[in-house]
Amino acid sequence: MNRLPLLLRVSANAGASLVLAFLVLPILAVVPASFNKASFIYLPPRAWSGVWYERFLADPEWRTSLINSVEVAMLATIIAVVLGTLAAIGLRRIDGRLRTLVTGLFLAPMIVPVIVTAVALYRSALDVGLSGTILGMSLGHAILALPFVVINVGIALRAVDDNWLRAAAGLGAGPWRIFRTVTLPNITPGIVGGAIFSFITSFDEVIIAVFMAGYASKTLPVKIWESIRLEFTPVIAVAATVMIALAIVLFALAQILSRKSGSPSR
Amino acid sequence: MTVTSTLPEPRARAALPSRRHVETACLLGPALIVLALLFVVPLARLFSLAFTDPAGPFATFGVLAESAVYRQVMWNTFVVAIVVTALCTLLAWPVAYVLSRLDGVWFGLALYGVLFPFWISVLVRTFSWMLLLERNGPINRLLMATGITDSPLALLFNNVGVLVGMIHILLPYMILPLYGAMVRIDRRLLLASDGLGASLVDTFRRIYLPLCLPGLAGGATFVFLLSLGFFITPALLGGSNAITLSMLIASFVNDRLAWSLAAAGSLALLAIVLVLMALAARLLPIERGLFAR
Repeated sequence: MNRLPLLLRVSANAGASLVLAFLVLPILAVVPASFNKASFIYLPPRAWSGVWYERFLADPEWRTSLINSVEVAMLATIIAVVLGTLAAIGLRRIDGRLRTLVTGLFLAPMIVPVIVTAVALYRSALDVGLSGTILGMSLGHAILALPFVVINVGIALRAVDDNWLRAAAGLGAGPWRIFRTVTLPNITPGIVGGAIFSFITSFDEVIIAVFMAGYASKTLPVKIWESIRLEFTPVIAVAATVMIALAIVLFALAQILSRKSGSPSR
Repeated sequence: MTVTSTLPEPRARAALPSRRHVETACLLGPALIVLALLFVVPLARLFSLAFTDPAGPFATFGVLAESAVYRQVMWNTFVVAIVVTALCTLLAWPVAYVLSRLDGVWFGLALYGVLFPFWISVLVRTFSWMLLLERNGPINRLLMATGITDSPLALLFNNVGVLVGMIHILLPYMILPLYGAMVRIDRRLLLASDGLGASLVDTFRRIYLPLCLPGLAGGATFVFLLSLGFFITPALLGGSNAITLSMLIASFVNDRLAWSLAAAGSLALLAIVLVLMALAARLLPIERGLFAR
């Protein structure tokens, strides 16, 4: 344990390396597949070309789905960040059983299996006419994203000392001014982290999207999902590569922002 | 100006004792209202559909329990979840151990290896596995080139594909809590055990393993519960040969418009998840494991 015999140590390292390779490498299979020249997917491609990227950009359905995804994710992010930030600040002002109860409620969307949430939302959205709309999809995604914002902002809030707020109040600042000049600057990293998490959660989400999407409100994952089941062409690999690229950019951004501010947000 | 500060102005508080409560309510209210309207009420309405069958309030559950097909689906869901959890536990062990022993650049690299998959959409990762496991895909060609098999193996559209895909997605949920437990183990305990003459196996069994247990239990609970509700990966990699409960619920809604059955299935799934969570929280030393990062 403290000093494993050489053989055990070597095999632990080899095992760990293999498992890490299993975790990382398969994800990248779609990247070469997206540069295939043939009209079917063959890995690794025998001839390379960007022709499927042209198809992706030229096809109005794929383009619209990408635009829909960005719209839905932005709307969901705004809703989740505003509600989640207020809620996280509010949570700090209650305690005891009430706090446990409310926190549990905010985290519940993470616990309930998404298929159950999706079916429930779909049913209610049908009745109120939100099914098939961008707004309906954004609201559904905002519910899934809300816990991430509450958690991220909650962690950032721990760094805000109550004495600062007392000092500000003692110096005559009103609640709004205290929020704007003391609380907000200190929790900005948490808010940004929560926002990026929300955006990615919505952008990647499939299950709610598959149920809520109408003809005009398909998001990129829904279009991918349908294409996998219907046609299975290399365009899907292009769309998947776009999703990977966007995820990497956003998470790199989150890392840089959180490192810059030295905050505990993830 | 009801928004927001953690403390009100002292004088205002004295003048208006309830102002603080009003502020708190205004902070929590919007999120709670939206959550109620978009989550609690839809769930309650869905579940109520389970009891509306003309044949009696519990008829839908009877249908689910008595049909051999649905029982088979339930069974398959549990078997997949158990096998995924077991294999994740096995595979997580060396990674968590090595992570707990590394530092510097190598630690960073290995940690990013575990976290990177979290960044990438489950749909994209599942699609990757479809490409790799295909009949004509690189894995089958590799197996044939090395002479392990003569003809391509059926790796897709059965439980093999489902297991590979789900393990790939759930493994990080097992590695991180296990690593969290391992990294907190005081190495002097192991030294002491060594020094007192315990064999490697004894030290593992009596010291290392018990100290890893919270992380192990936390990770296993997480992986198991997430497996039960998985939808995308089994739907794409397993297809009609490996139906799980979540796929059954979706097909009740999409293919058969059998809302009361979908509601009963959803309620059953949620009940199983909640009961297992409560049991795990009570029986296992899970608390520290789950929140270890």
